[in-house]
Amino acid sequence: MADLRSNLAGIQSPNPFWLASAPPTNSGYQVQRAFEAGWGGAVWKTLGDPILNVSSRFAAVSFNGQRVAGFNNIELITDRPLEVNLKEIYETKKMYPDHAIIASLMVEPKQEKWHEIVKRVEEVGVDGLELNFGCPHGMAERGMGSASGQVPELVEKQTFWAKEAAETPVIVKLTPNITDITATAEAAVRGGADAVSMINTINSLAGVDIDTWNTIPHVGGKGAHGGYCGPAVKPIALNMVGECARSPRINVPISGIGGISNWQNAVEFMLMGASNVQICTAAMHHGFRIVEDMIDGLNNYLDEKEIPSVQELVGKSVPKYSDWGNLDLNYKIVARINNDVCINCNKCHIACEDTSHQCIDMLKDGQGNPILKVREEDCVGCNLCSIVCPVEGAIDMVELESEHPPMTWNDRQAVLGLVQEKKGNLTP
Amino acid sequence: MSDYQEYLLEREKIDHWLDKGYMITDVTENLSGAELTLKKPENDLEKLLIKTADGRKYFSNLLFQKKEELESR
Repeated sequence: MADLRSNLAGIQSPNPFWLASAPPTNSGYQVQRAFEAGWGGAVWKTLGDPILNVSSRFAAVSFNGQRVAGFNNIELITDRPLEVNLKEIYETKKMYPDHAIIASLMVEPKQEKWHEIVKRVEEVGVDGLELNFGCPHGMAERGMGSASGQVPELVEKQTFWAKEAAETPVIVKLTPNITDITATAEAAVRGGADAVSMINTINSLAGVDIDTWNTIPHVGGKGAHGGYCGPAVKPIALNMVGECARSPRINVPISGIGGISNWQNAVEFMLMGASNVQICTAAMHHGFRIVEDMIDGLNNYLDEKEIPSVQELVGKSVPKYSDWGNLDLNYKIVARINNDVCINCNKCHIACEDTSHQCIDMLKDGQGNPILKVREEDCVGCNLCSIVCPVEGAIDMVELESEHPPMTWNDRQAVLGLVQEKKGNLTP
Repeated sequence: MSDYQEYLLEREKIDHWLDKGYMITDVTENLSGAELTLKKPENDLEKLLIKTADGRKYFSNLLFQKKEELESR
């Protein structure tokens, strides 16, 4: 049995699965239920001046029968007094001393406000703090959440203020509603952050009701943008984790968040540099007990690969993630159709003919049966045919040996520069 | 003519001039592709417009390999 214990900037937990700050971590009752189910840690729903919420609050995007492919919310931070939350944090930590409890915090961008809340929260024994610079709705209209998280100077300053008062590790939770998340991650590091977490939710409108013309969700006929999460955002989150993990200027651990729905997703985030993961939508969709499958799956995966500790996964794929200019222009794959598996639905032919490179021919075999065949010399290896193919194993993407050694775009541009410089002395 | 056939023709033209001892002395890239200037001492200039992606990759590979060879000496 592998060692699943996780350590994020000194915050220990029995496994890398934390509940993200959100409705599932609103109260002691919920967090205790989560710990009982097996979650390794919980980031308490964001504390700050208690707010007023609206009804309704959530909406989901279903796609082709997949329920909750994406999830949208317009709920704000805690609506309960700080004292109530602190009492429940204290009780929960006492009951589960080995589980991590992190307090998510959001206050106005003022030094005294940060000092006050950090001190009061640390008094009850939290293991760490997460500064919420990410919520894109409601609080942002009041200058908090993503409104301050989009401004590197404010991220740095507020992190610094929190660190001035903090004795526990400070995690800065970043908003994805920005062009380059490394800019704010670097600001957090400059402010003294012990770790960063990403991503918070993405600005979204789940839909419009085409009969009533109301937004989805709506509050008495009026809507406002919300925050989008769930499986649909996973690729966006994974890229942002990878971009931060490979940046030499972001040298703090990362807590990965964004559409993680199973143990495989968690492994992906850890390989791409996350020291642990935070999960919300999957728990809201399926309940706290989904963590059992996550723990079992992760454990089996590590055992099968003979990896003794989950920490050994962290960052293993980061060296494989780079800029486009560093990719090998001579690497070549082509599609091959296995006619004994293919059902001749022709989806690959149509996709290739209409929207790609017109290299899949509809032919007849010796018996006059229809077959599909790829003209490999015209195939650019785009993968589209294998993506749209409904039959597992009908199309393989196979590597072809190149007649040339690897050459990247950056290599090519450098050599063309030399040609200009040397006017012929380089030529073949 | 498929892109591949067009590439083979372009590759043939590049090889033809290089086999005759010409050298690529300039590459100008524009909206149509890459214009190669080939030169041999005491001979006229030759110009080739290489349009296909594989053709542009091909002459780049030749130049890159040459550079690698020179650097490894």
